[in-house]
Amino acid sequence: MAETEGAAVAAGAWPRRRRRLTAGRFFRASVPYALILPVLVAIGAVLGYPLYNLVRLSFQHYGLFELIQHKGQAVGLRNFSSILHDGIFWHTLVRTVVFTAVNVCLTMAIGTAVALLLVRVSTWARLLLTSGLVLVWATPAVVAVQVWIWMTNFQNGIVNYTLTRLHIGNYSEHDWYATTFSQLGLATTLIVWGAVPFVAISVYAALAQVPRDLEEAAEIDGARPWRVFRDVTLPILRPVLLILTSLSIIWDFGVFTQPYLLIGQGHIHPGNYLMGIYLFEEGYIKTEFGRGAAISLLMLAMVALLSVVYVRKMVRLGDEE
Amino acid sequence: MSRRRRTGRAGWNTLAVGIFVVMVFPVFWMISTAFKSDDEIVSYTPTWFSLHPTIAHFRAAIHAPFFWPDVRNSLIIVGATVGISIALSFLAAVALAKYRFGGRKLFIVLVIGIQMLPQAGLIIPLYVVLARYHQVNALTGVIVTYMTFALPFCVWTLRGFIINIPRELEEAAMVDGNTRLGAFLKILLPLAAPGLVATSVFAFITSWNEYIFARVLLSDQGKQTLTVWLSYFLGSSRHTDWGALMAGSTLTAIPVLIFFLLIQRRIAFGLTAGAVKG
Amino acid sequence: MRHRVVAAAAVAVLLGLVAATASASPQRAQANKLTVWLQVDAQSGWPDIVAAANQQFQKDHPGYTVDVQYQNWTDHLQKFDATLAGGNSPDVIEMGNTEMTKYMAAGAFSPLDKSSFDNAPQWLSGLAKSGAYGGKTYGVPYYAGSRVATYRTDLFKKAGIKKLPATLAELTADAKKLAAKNKGKGFSPVYFGGEDWYVAMAFVYDFGGTIARTHSGKWVGALDSPQAVKGLTAYKNFFLASSRASKTNDSTNPNPYDVYAQGNAGVIIGPSWFSCCVGVKYKTATAQFVLPGHVKGQALPGFLGGSDLAVPVTSKSASLGADWIKDFTGTSAERALQAKGNIPNATNLLGSSINERAAARSWFVPTAKHWVDVENGNILKNMLGQILTGKLTVKQAAASASDNITSVLNGS
Repeated sequence: MAETEGAAVAAGAWPRRRRRLTAGRFFRASVPYALILPVLVAIGAVLGYPLYNLVRLSFQHYGLFELIQHKGQAVGLRNFSSILHDGIFWHTLVRTVVFTAVNVCLTMAIGTAVALLLVRVSTWARLLLTSGLVLVWATPAVVAVQVWIWMTNFQNGIVNYTLTRLHIGNYSEHDWYATTFSQLGLATTLIVWGAVPFVAISVYAALAQVPRDLEEAAEIDGARPWRVFRDVTLPILRPVLLILTSLSIIWDFGVFTQPYLLIGQGHIHPGNYLMGIYLFEEGYIKTEFGRGAAISLLMLAMVALLSVVYVRKMVRLGDEE
Repeated sequence: MSRRRRTGRAGWNTLAVGIFVVMVFPVFWMISTAFKSDDEIVSYTPTWFSLHPTIAHFRAAIHAPFFWPDVRNSLIIVGATVGISIALSFLAAVALAKYRFGGRKLFIVLVIGIQMLPQAGLIIPLYVVLARYHQVNALTGVIVTYMTFALPFCVWTLRGFIINIPRELEEAAMVDGNTRLGAFLKILLPLAAPGLVATSVFAFITSWNEYIFARVLLSDQGKQTLTVWLSYFLGSSRHTDWGALMAGSTLTAIPVLIFFLLIQRRIAFGLTAGAVKG
Repeated sequence: MRHRVVAAAAVAVLLGLVAATASASPQRAQANKLTVWLQVDAQSGWPDIVAAANQQFQKDHPGYTVDVQYQNWTDHLQKFDATLAGGNSPDVIEMGNTEMTKYMAAGAFSPLDKSSFDNAPQWLSGLAKSGAYGGKTYGVPYYAGSRVATYRTDLFKKAGIKKLPATLAELTADAKKLAAKNKGKGFSPVYFGGEDWYVAMAFVYDFGGTIARTHSGKWVGALDSPQAVKGLTAYKNFFLASSRASKTNDSTNPNPYDVYAQGNAGVIIGPSWFSCCVGVKYKTATAQFVLPGHVKGQALPGFLGGSDLAVPVTSKSASLGADWIKDFTGTSAERALQAKGNIPNATNLLGSSINERAAARSWFVPTAKHWVDVENGNILKNMLGQILTGKLTVKQAAASASDNITSVLNGS
């Protein structure tokens, strides 16, 4: 915004104002701080102490006994070193990174495609599809999991029934939860299904802010659809796509509810852990809260590492004003 | 409209319907199961929808203990969370998107960093803090918790939408020389409307569907939210009433749909180009 | 647009105020309130017994109200942990009997005076053990359930089965007869999931084996002993001969009684309350029998699953909590529970319902403080899946599970 002011001054518009308002300038400079103050206060008041507590816990041995005594044993870096020396941690990390990559790519690709479709269809189709998307989005995760479990029922699930009827193979009495690949594959379909609506609607909202004239002009000039997308639409969508990708990475890396409930307590074991589940199992189920805190901090570091590229681009994009 | 355009559009429309069918199928399955009788639900050969639909499950769900109080609680909690979060985060997003100020990068790091924290790790520390201020088993405690997790996301997303606004539109309205802040808000608000809508729908849905914190923080069944109410259909070691569970789930999804239908016009389904012309 | 925004913000603040006032009430009268956590099973199964206990308590302690809050099995422990940290635990809590040891070892409960509870000397030994630690009593057994076989009388008649099986071998033969007469798609003579460890371990105990035992203060996994291996082999043979359920799933999804209601099961194995949910069609053709062991005249040991009631150590009204437990597990309350199909907590109260006959020979999990980790780590289930799919031989799977159990139980 400084440029606009500078330009205005250069154009001779507000020379007198600049000299007069020193106090006003202070006021104006403090505007952004006033704008972010409410958010800072809200977050700080609620999360400040818990975050401090989380960090402190990670350096303590804090099991059920210590929880009841309200006092932990300081053990320095032992939690961190035991986790980093645990083979399960590393296997889980690799598995989670792959899982995240697959989920994010599918979500972003399908979501963007659906958004582009929404721009091109008639109003009734747009309303229909968007209502469908919102309906999907509105379904609580815990409910969606139950529906998934119901649909993939070993004995009378609609999925087995339909696949067999369509002669895609003999899926009669196929147990979808028998192998890790199948379990995580199902979790992926559930998560992508639940995430596509948000991406599609957000990208569509961003497209709605973009003049369609630009695209149509390019199309009339004879450019092929893919080039139109790449050269005209994509640059405009960049900020929103970057945000959505970075958010998807963050969520999918730490996702817990869907895989945990879908795969079920009965099938979860170190061989199919994802990071979110690993945290819950090691920290809460085994009531090792110090270890859980250490895992939380490690996860924070991992996610930060994974999304730093996108976040950097995001921040820099804002700076290009 | 040219014929090529029309057939092209028909093709897209068909694709849209196809995608609709695939996406909505699980939801359809949920609703269809809610209307089936117990025998049909359990039968070895699944049926697409019931030939003798019954509303017994809906009746059972509505008469399950604490349904209406929990509806009220969910509405209060989510309404307050969304309203306050959007208002506060819009202001912060404007600051981040339009101003240069010291500590800006730090604020961004904070906003993103909080979203990177695994929420599960914070359950017990948060509970301890809230307990100290008697905010456990209280709607305000839950509102405050939800807001804390919604704010970073809303700030981050709204910032993106605000940056996305083409400069010409802003500068076109700046000529009047109002004080910057007032002008900003008056101009940015309508331009950022689609973004505000998308973000508030997301905040609404995430808060409406949140389970873990509501479960841990609210013990009184009369104070719980609908998602917690739903979990009672599953938590027993005895008979799971699938029909009632699906009926209850359908009921839980309705308010979100209503909320969206009320504000969907702002995402400008009709014309979008009008803003730039003239 | 501006006005709408301001209006929306005003509404939001108003809602916040409403919320604040709505939650302003709980702090009143905390001194005269007893908080009790029971599982939802009580809410749907016997709310009248709960109400009776509350009434009795209020009569003995005038001015007090009892606030019963119902919990889910899936997350009640996480909630309990949070309240222990925050210092506002309930005054009475219902715990699964396999969950007790870990919390007793951590000092989560106040010790109780065993002699002050009805029928304490005659408590079923399996149940009483789960509430005792270090010589003190922390948990009062509340009720239990065992496992029985629910079967289709009409299918048995059609298959020519004249009398109920008295040994496992006879049961297997009956299963074959049922299969021969019911060739429909999806029919399973006996339906139970392959990884249903409650059934599988019953076989292990029937052959004299055990899951783990103590040896000079340490736990040692014992599934690789010859008797346990015999039991597991018998289980494998029985499953492969009689059940068409999934080999890699337990008996929760689909539920055996749902399969039964479809008409696709001749016999299902589970708690006796399964008979509630067999569907209208087969209600009159349903009866139950006690599962036979491999030796004639001996029943297959049944897992004595049940609940205990305990008083958290952070409660400010420990003696009142104990009084409420007394009212809820008194003789009349236990009789009422028995009438609802549960096994009461004392031998002198035992009747001869099918459930109670099945409980005559029972088994229980090792009372180790890390036992819950074995359950949560699905060690037994994975072992059964490997055995049934043939991935490992019985001996190999049992040996690996045994080692696993040894390390988990000893806390590493």
